[in-house]
Amino acid sequence: MTATTGQLSAAARRVLSLAIDAHRDQPATAGWLHGQLLRLDEPLRVAIAGKVKAGKSTLLNALVGEQVAPTDAGECTRVVTWYADGHTPRITLHPTEGEPSPLPVRRRDGALVIDLAGTPAERVDRLMVHWPSQNLRATTLIDTPGIASVTAENSRRTLRFFGAAPDLDEDTPTEADAVVYLMRHLHAADAEFLSSFADRGVARATAINTIAVLSRADEIGGGRVDAMFAARGIAQRYRVDPAVRGLCQNVVAVAGLIAETGRTLRQQEFAALATLASAPRAELEAELRSVDRFLAAHAGGARRDPAAGDAAPGVDTATRRRLLARFGIFGIRLSTSLIRQGAGSPAALSAELVARSGLGELQRVLHTQFGQRRDLLKARSALLAADSVLRTSGRAGALLGEIERVLAGAHELAELRMLAALRAGPVGLPREALAEAERLLGDAGAAATDRLGLPADAAAPELRDAAFAAHGRWQQHATNPLFGRATAEVCRVVIRSCEGILDDLHRAEPARPGR
Amino acid sequence: MNRNEPLAVVDAALAVVARYERPDLDERLRQARARLVDDRVRVLVVGEFKQGKSLLVNGLVGAPVCPTFDDVATAVPTRVRHAETVSVALVRDLDPGGDPAARRTERIEIAAAELAEHVCEQGNPGNREGWSHAEVGVPRPVLAGGLELVDTPGVGGLQSVHGAATLAALPGADAVLLVSDAAQEYTAPELDFLQRAASVCPNVACVLTKIDLYPEWRRIVELDRGHLATAGIRGEVFPVSSALRWQAVLDGDAELNTESGFPELLSYLRRRVLGQSDRLARRGVVHDVLAVTDQLGGKLRTEQAAQQNPQEAQQLLAALTAAQERAVALRERSARWQQTLNDGVADLNADIDYDLRDRMREISRMAEEELLGGGDPAKVWDQFAAWVQQEVAGAASANFIWATQRVRWLAQQVAEHFAGDRDQLLPALRNDPSDALRSVRAMAAPDDSSSGLANKALTGLRGGYMGMLMFGMIGTFVGFASLINPLGIGAAVVMGGKTIGDERKRLVSKRQNEAKVAVRRYVDDVTFQVAKDSRDRLRAVQRDLRDHFTAQAEQMKRSLQESQQAAERAVKASRSEREARLAEITTALQQLEVVRRQARALLPQPAAPAAAGPQQVVRAG
Repeated sequence: MTATTGQLSAAARRVLSLAIDAHRDQPATAGWLHGQLLRLDEPLRVAIAGKVKAGKSTLLNALVGEQVAPTDAGECTRVVTWYADGHTPRITLHPTEGEPSPLPVRRRDGALVIDLAGTPAERVDRLMVHWPSQNLRATTLIDTPGIASVTAENSRRTLRFFGAAPDLDEDTPTEADAVVYLMRHLHAADAEFLSSFADRGVARATAINTIAVLSRADEIGGGRVDAMFAARGIAQRYRVDPAVRGLCQNVVAVAGLIAETGRTLRQQEFAALATLASAPRAELEAELRSVDRFLAAHAGGARRDPAAGDAAPGVDTATRRRLLARFGIFGIRLSTSLIRQGAGSPAALSAELVARSGLGELQRVLHTQFGQRRDLLKARSALLAADSVLRTSGRAGALLGEIERVLAGAHELAELRMLAALRAGPVGLPREALAEAERLLGDAGAAATDRLGLPADAAAPELRDAAFAAHGRWQQHATNPLFGRATAEVCRVVIRSCEGILDDLHRAEPARPGR
Repeated sequence: MNRNEPLAVVDAALAVVARYERPDLDERLRQARARLVDDRVRVLVVGEFKQGKSLLVNGLVGAPVCPTFDDVATAVPTRVRHAETVSVALVRDLDPGGDPAARRTERIEIAAAELAEHVCEQGNPGNREGWSHAEVGVPRPVLAGGLELVDTPGVGGLQSVHGAATLAALPGADAVLLVSDAAQEYTAPELDFLQRAASVCPNVACVLTKIDLYPEWRRIVELDRGHLATAGIRGEVFPVSSALRWQAVLDGDAELNTESGFPELLSYLRRRVLGQSDRLARRGVVHDVLAVTDQLGGKLRTEQAAQQNPQEAQQLLAALTAAQERAVALRERSARWQQTLNDGVADLNADIDYDLRDRMREISRMAEEELLGGGDPAKVWDQFAAWVQQEVAGAASANFIWATQRVRWLAQQVAEHFAGDRDQLLPALRNDPSDALRSVRAMAAPDDSSSGLANKALTGLRGGYMGMLMFGMIGTFVGFASLINPLGIGAAVVMGGKTIGDERKRLVSKRQNEAKVAVRRYVDDVTFQVAKDSRDRLRAVQRDLRDHFTAQAEQMKRSLQESQQAAERAVKASRSEREARLAEITTALQQLEVVRRQARALLPQPAAPAAAGPQQVVRAG
């Protein structure tokens, strides 16, 4: 469907250019619209939001693969911080008034240190961190202060960023194209926030640009080694919960700390863990019963354990403290048992940790839900922005009609809307048909293979047969007199999606089908 | 806490009183005894969900009484108390919303293993079985002092209905433990909750759980103490680890037990919470015994004086008559305390009612604003209805807590009229939480059916037909032969479309109006129910206070009357009779003095008996 998405982007571009023309005499508005135009070509902006201490910065570090966002036991992130790809590390402070100013780039223990250089947090609009990283090339990540903070001003900054603060106009478009929402468990405040972000405006596409993450999954069940398993079960329950389905695309359990540390594991950390793992099992288990015990054990330095011999030096308290900060008690339990089971090198341990943290699943979901829809989400954001400006400036004229036409005509947006509708409420479809409809509409991925539920290497004839079969099935559904009006509408959009798949397949002939 | 000592004193006093044929005083002591026997010290364990509340209760008791899960678990409050053998029962209100004074409950005994099915979200999602609470009795010495631990469902945001129920239960609790894990400092809703709890509950403690998991827990403790100080809340912070405690219970490891932080929490419960309630109980006993023996002794002493000095008996009689008149006056309806009470209750009724209506009106206003600005209410009805219900629940519980505070204050005002009794013992005031919210019908959703396709087609047709008719007619004028001509058909399409658009707008505004009416009706219903509940409760409180104070006035009057009669008899008695009676009186006074001394001995001792100390040793589950 790349061709049509391209058309949509072009349409958004045209609309924005026309809007800039219309506001030629208002430099501020025209400048803002120009920014929106540039934004179309920028990487996708994904904001990471959640309650205080949900582990937003930790997850951001895990996604980047480097410790770029400062983390702390207390409430830490106080201003909205953008992380974008750049040639050289650079930090820029954008104050609420005045010119942006550069901040020094310093690292401590491998982690980036951000110092506002005396500027009070309330005078900072945002921080811009440019960092050379492969992982930031396709997406710009935005770290936000937590909601439900005791410091009300911190929470407000986040709400304002998302355009959800009570004094703001409800239709103010948000700066982010998509949101990863972190929660430890779904609280009332979380649901409220999610529904406030589910935007109103023209392209009503609730939940389409939000993924919920059950963060700090390693802490469930008191940090038992099987905690991640329990966490996945809980994520699964949320995924099918109608209340949550209406608010977000997907729910994934991620152990942020394990993921972050796994991706930034250092040699000496591995060495220390290996030393720990060499101790007798019962002894280590007793040490790992609590953080205090772990820190107090062998404070003297050398091991008491004669079996390990004099050559094996103990792990001193300072190292233990560092390990705790990086791994958490669950991480140490997991790592030592992984090393015992044969993860013999830092690389192997790192891979195991990342695999168990659930980060891979999150990345996959991010890719299908956001990455593949990048242009679509971008175009949608741009159209929303243009629409809001035109409505408030009153110079709408023919342009508003044009936007309406684009929004109503683009099948991708119709798909998004329909997906949102399917998630939000009951539709008179049988369960299997509902699942198929969601898949065909591109819920699991925009590629033809994903939509048809076939393996990625399926051959063209097979794809075509499947697409024809689906098309026929849904045309039958569409004529089923037992289905109501809403269901008929679903069928119509799904049929159109099937036609799109067939069209793409036809176009790709005789080359290898797919996207 | 040891209730045997006060009980012995009350029993001794009862034995003495039995000789005087004073059923009123006898009754008073019997009530005091009953209070001692089934006095419970209720400790509420509250907090957001998944903070380890159930584990904390299990750790405190040293037995797996509350089921725990990785996922959201507790759905029904569980009361854990002492019992000789393990017993589990589920309790359900039969007529929620009825008069709280005469509430009937259903109680079903179940096997201990079945508890999890009924109190957990997994077996009983959202408490659809409708239990009001579960009662678990376990033979644990920790609970023997009358301690009752209440494990509550996680509030999941203070404004939620669970949160409101928890708030409503606060005034009835002797202590509140706010459970929050060491992963993070307090959030705004938690601090808000603490503030409210501190205003109605005598003991508020903050328990920081899972300290075995978080290396930075000491910093979190410091941060939390800072937050508490900033908010002006007096509450101790206890960092604990249920996992360590549990391991310690299993292994009998005293060192691990110390590390778990539980001994300190237990000693707080014993020293502060139980100790305080014990002090109160002892003070109550001493007060009752002294008051009763005073009245008996007063009579005896007057008689003694009259027997010794018959000449001065007339003066004595005059003084007695005056005193008796005062006592009678106190008993009368017109007594000043009665006025204070009646006026106070009337004021209270008006104030509480006003407060409730004011809060509810504000909610209606906000809801209407929301509705007018929010487009079609049918689309967001579920969230909207949930929001209204939350706001209403919050307002009702805030109103309830305020009412409770005012009632306590009023009771003290009334007590001041009985100036002789400075530390007047107030009767237990009713504060059963209102169940009004549950008995109110849910909000009706605005009708969504009329926008069906057929309906729309009809509406479109109607408009189209009009268009065709109008323009078709024009067409016939300008020369088209038929009514159905191109001009007419074009007009039909345009007007049909316009009519559908108009119809949609009309439907939306119709639904907005319906939603407004539904909200108003719901808020009215709740206001009505809650107001009725609070009026009933106030009436019950008024009755309790009146009965209490009237009984006291009655006792005083009767004692004075008997003194008077005794003095009159003394004047008439012969010398030998007089001597014999004097000897009797002296013995009786001595007996009374013995009981009084015993009663006084209850107080100066340190409140918590030293015997409770060694019980801190771990008890294996």
